[in-house]
Amino acid sequence: LFARFTGSKVLSEDDLKPVLEGMKQHLMKKNVAKDIAEKVCEGVGESLVGRKVGGFQTTYATVRLALSNSITHILTPKTSTDLLFSIRAKLMSPLTSAQQRMPYSITFVGVNGVGKSTNLSKVCFWLIQNGFRVLIAACDTFRSGAVEQLRVHVRNLSMLSVGGAGDSEGRVELYERGYGKDAAGIAKEAIAYGRDNGFDVVLIDTAGRMQDNEPLMRALAKLVSVNNPDKILFVGEALVGNEAVDQLTKFDRALRDFSGAGTAVAKGRGIDGMLVTKWDTVDDKVGAALSMTYVTGQPIVFVGTGQTYTDLRQLRVANVVEAILSD
Amino acid sequence: MVLSDLGRKLNAALSSLNRVSIVDEKVLDTLLKEVCAALLESDVNVKLVSQLRQKVRIKVKAVFESGGEKAKEANKKNLIQKAVFDELVSLVDPGVEPYKPKKGYPNVIMAVGLQACGTLLPGNGKTTTCTKLAVHYQKRGYKASIVCADTFRAGAFDQTRQSATKAKVAYFGSYTETDPVAIAAQGVAKFKKEKFEVIIVDTSGRHKQESELFEEMIQIGHAVKPDMTVLILDASIGQSAEAQSRAFKESADFGAIIVTKMDGHAKGGGAISAVAATKTPIIFLGTGEHLTDLDRFSPQPFISKLLGLGDVQGLMEH
Ligand SMILES: Nc1nc2c(ncn2[C@@H]2O[C@H](COP(=O)(O)OP(=O)(O)OP(=O)(O)O)[C@@H](O)[C@H]2O)c(=O)[nH]1
Ligand SMILES: Nc1nc2c(ncn2[C@@H]2O[C@H](COP(=O)(O)OP(=O)(O)OP(=O)(O)O)[C@@H](O)[C@H]2O)c(=O)[nH]1
Ligand SMILES: [Mg+2]
Ligand SMILES: [Mg+2]
Repeated sequence: LFARFTGSKVLSEDDLKPVLEGMKQHLMKKNVAKDIAEKVCEGVGESLVGRKVGGFQTTYATVRLALSNSITHILTPKTSTDLLFSIRAKLMSPLTSAQQRMPYSITFVGVNGVGKSTNLSKVCFWLIQNGFRVLIAACDTFRSGAVEQLRVHVRNLSMLSVGGAGDSEGRVELYERGYGKDAAGIAKEAIAYGRDNGFDVVLIDTAGRMQDNEPLMRALAKLVSVNNPDKILFVGEALVGNEAVDQLTKFDRALRDFSGAGTAVAKGRGIDGMLVTKWDTVDDKVGAALSMTYVTGQPIVFVGTGQTYTDLRQLRVANVVEAILSD
Repeated sequence: MVLSDLGRKLNAALSSLNRVSIVDEKVLDTLLKEVCAALLESDVNVKLVSQLRQKVRIKVKAVFESGGEKAKEANKKNLIQKAVFDELVSLVDPGVEPYKPKKGYPNVIMAVGLQACGTLLPGNGKTTTCTKLAVHYQKRGYKASIVCADTFRAGAFDQTRQSATKAKVAYFGSYTETDPVAIAAQGVAKFKKEKFEVIIVDTSGRHKQESELFEEMIQIGHAVKPDMTVLILDASIGQSAEAQSRAFKESADFGAIIVTKMDGHAKGGGAISAVAATKTPIIFLGTGEHLTDLDRFSPQPFISKLLGLGDVQGLMEH
């Protein structure tokens, strides 16, 4: 990028324009969606017009700093990402004598092949390690092998040792009803089964679907409205480019629009957070993280960094900002 | 449907020419700006887009300045439209003929994911596409089969078994053998012996920094000697597509590309960039999760459909 020495002066739109254009191109090369790159740079420009830059500060350095602050702000979660805390809060909340303790439920949603089932299994591993009993609900009743895929994960996870050998036995189970059945109904049965059998958390796997496929989006909204899960996690790939924006906007909107009326959920529910997968495949092109948080205003709860159970991380905002800004 | 947004924007840019009376450099620049913006929004590689802009500009200017018959106002518009059209076609047309399976011969096709520096990308639709390909060739009278050489992904063989059964295609795999090279070799040998004409080998989608995985791909390659290696690309891939597939091209010849998930909203610009970077032809587009959701691909009709032009020749020659 171009560093221009300007001396002490008041920044005008004309001074900023070429620098901002360079920044926008840079963000796009880092896989930030075009719209988002434009909006972020526009915001930075507006905040700087009329600002005085003094002495040895270049316009470039000023813009870069403002951009860094802006990206940091966007990426910093506005709501809690402490999942363990939320789960414990629910499990320990007082009940009336007539109430039964409900497990904490998390639904994983997203387009095809992004890593929903794999990362659900990683989250399961992490929960087991934190002492919870987890039920996995096989609600992808469409894709060939989807149920068996989860069965293999449950078998692996129940063989892993937590403290001593064989500790995780009985800590994880699969709830499945095979293929072709209504996913919303299976999720409901699974939650009831979890409640009756002392499971703390129910992880609901769903079939991948394209955001424009209305019948499938309606079916997903039905699953949400029937079951009102505690968390709806959108799973998206770090690889995705401009699509990130469209996927998230449409998943969120479809869930809100179709999951409202006449159900347990008074108002339609949207996405509560994101899980960004395949982080290990993009080097420093991590712009999708910025696009996703910009669009939803929701936090990235986890990032998936590989294909084993331990490849799950919390997002480190400072690292992401650095990667996005690096040349 | 497919690519409609990109198509609409490109078309709008091109037809805006019809509304101006004098075509000068300013008009050309405005048009190119719109075309490039549309391409960038579709994840076409940033560098490729600026190259396209350069090329069209040079082509058009040369004719403008020549002052001959072609530089007349009426012809200028056609000239610009054709230059843009040609450059778009050349983005998706590497000018290389893909492999054509032969009847009565055991054609071995190996499907691999996108690869970067010795790594393969998971989840882009390899297994699904293998079954679709088998169905495609089976319908055209080939005796087709699938070998599942993925011993890595949980439930991989179940996935192949279930979808091949649904498609009534022969399949081979193992729940106990852990060496993908051994499975690939056994499966291909078996189907060759049984006189199958299309033998599709599905591989695992693993991403790993070490070269050991890539070694495994090469070993599978040695074991089955594919007639065609197909690179499976997901339409939603963004700016990393170009660099990643270039790395692939450097380390292995793949022969053909299939872009999957074109039924989504993604405009496939990342995938298109991969074609341009690797000079490898796209042979099919995956357009859904069902077994028959596979469309043949060819550059000219693809671009004219993209632009909503219908009959290209018509538009270009009037
Ligand atoms: N490198 C890498 N691969 C991943 C990651 N997460 C998932 N994968 C791989 O991506 C592929 C697809 O993962 P799945 O979990 O089956 O994806 P899905 O979203 O459940 O797919 P569908 O249910 O078919 O829509 C698998 O091969 C996973 O191993 C990750 O963080 N990094
Ligand atoms: N909508 C749509 N979905 C597709 C298409 N092709 C594949 N899929 C879906 O994408 C997901 C992943 O497909 P797979 O065939 O399992 O991908 P893979 O590359 O074999 O995955 P790994 O073996 O884990 O690397 C599944 O949900 C498929 O149904 C397509 O053209 N359109
Ligand atoms: Mg899945
Ligand atoms: Mg596969």
